[in-house]
Amino acid sequence: MNGRLSLTASVIVTASLVVGIGAGCAGKSMSKTGSGDVVADRQRVMKLQGASWGDIQAKAKAGNIEAIAVNAETLALTAQQIPALFPEGSLTDKSKAKPEVWQKWSEFEAAAKNLQTQAEKLRDAARAKNEQATQDIVKDFGRTACGACHTPFRQPPPRS
Amino acid sequence: MPRREMRPVPDLPTPGILRPRGGRIRRRGASAAVAVLVLAMVSAAGAQSPEQIARGKYIFGAAAGCGCHTVPKQALNAGGRKYDGPFGTVYASNITPDPTTGIGKWTDEQIITATRAGRRPNGERLIPVHPYTVFNGMAEQDLKDVVAYLRSVPPVNKAAPAKKITVPLFESVFLPAWLATFAPRELPPAAAPTSGVARGEYLSRAVGHCGECHTPRTMTMAVDSSRFLAGNQKGKGPEGSAVPNITPDRDTGIGNWSEEQITDYLETGNKPDGDVAGGLMMEVIQGTSAGYKDLTKADRQAIAKYLKSIPPVRNQIE
Repeated sequence: MNGRLSLTASVIVTASLVVGIGAGCAGKSMSKTGSGDVVADRQRVMKLQGASWGDIQAKAKAGNIEAIAVNAETLALTAQQIPALFPEGSLTDKSKAKPEVWQKWSEFEAAAKNLQTQAEKLRDAARAKNEQATQDIVKDFGRTACGACHTPFRQPPPRS
Repeated sequence: MPRREMRPVPDLPTPGILRPRGGRIRRRGASAAVAVLVLAMVSAAGAQSPEQIARGKYIFGAAAGCGCHTVPKQALNAGGRKYDGPFGTVYASNITPDPTTGIGKWTDEQIITATRAGRRPNGERLIPVHPYTVFNGMAEQDLKDVVAYLRSVPPVNKAAPAKKITVPLFESVFLPAWLATFAPRELPPAAAPTSGVARGEYLSRAVGHCGECHTPRTMTMAVDSSRFLAGNQKGKGPEGSAVPNITPDRDTGIGNWSEEQITDYLETGNKPDGDVAGGLMMEVIQGTSAGYKDLTKADRQAIAKYLKSIPPVRNQIE
């Protein structure tokens, strides 16, 4: 081959390689910080959310209001991670998600956002040491922030 | 937003001769005549009053807001909710007071007969997706009160789709045979128990009909009463879901839960490990216009006491 043709060819080959590797990487970008098993990752996040909510209830019962803020912040931050943890095609046998997650994606996203918003409200009330506001939020939080998503989108989980 | 708009009215007092003994639901006996007289006097006094409607709404909530008759987010009691079974497909009836598509033209007697005996005014049997053999365990006064409440909600003109039975001779042969052999059977007390384990038993077995979802079913959808409330594997429960074992077995049931945790769960769905109920259980806790969440703390405690008292059954739900 003459010089100019081989230069063009190598540009084309290099460009194809870059596009190819880039496409391969895009699939993994969802679980960049995880184990690569997105179902296991999200179950871990949910367990952390459950532990945080359990802590909040115990602290509320003990009247330990300001300390609730850290758990509420955990819930708010992990809520933001939820949509990315449910990519298309991740409904495996181990998952307790229902197909409705992807059939009603905008509702699912809205439910995650609702958890984030309510958790931020709870965090702010706790930080302000507002006992009444905090207890009022805690009273219905389980049903309205967690249950509101579990009801349409989750199958019964394994026995706790 | 107020969680409860109506306070439940206390139950009718239970005369000593009618009080259940040993915590078990008693059969009607010689005291039935006196009971009928007492109930007739009381029900005549309280017919369709706001107090009766409030009592009715409370029992309605204790029966999970009759959620099977309401499609989520659609009109209350308007029916149309789909149920697939080995027999085919049925749709829940419209139980609003609409005169053409609902129960507006039915008498109280006819509504109660359908609820507890599974017969429509035209003689047709109900398919026991509506668990009438279990609702048969409800006290007459509670049923009358529920009827008063049903008549008080807005009528909705919406006919439920016709059922599609795919098994030949189902209604004439198989259904009566199944009912005689496999249906769980509850018998009514003369009056509803008012407190303690007896109240918990009444609310769980009859009104709350917990066994309909939580007791294991066989291939013919028969209920295995020897393993009451021991759960259903995925595919066997309502809408194909798995249903937890709620007997006091420590390994496979809720034996590790305290009475207080069960009491709280029935109102909030909060579990001891921080998880929150979802799926159909959260639906029944929320209910429709009322649900399990509207039970008084005393009633939820009674249910918790009862659940701690039944035999633990080892049954691991995957």
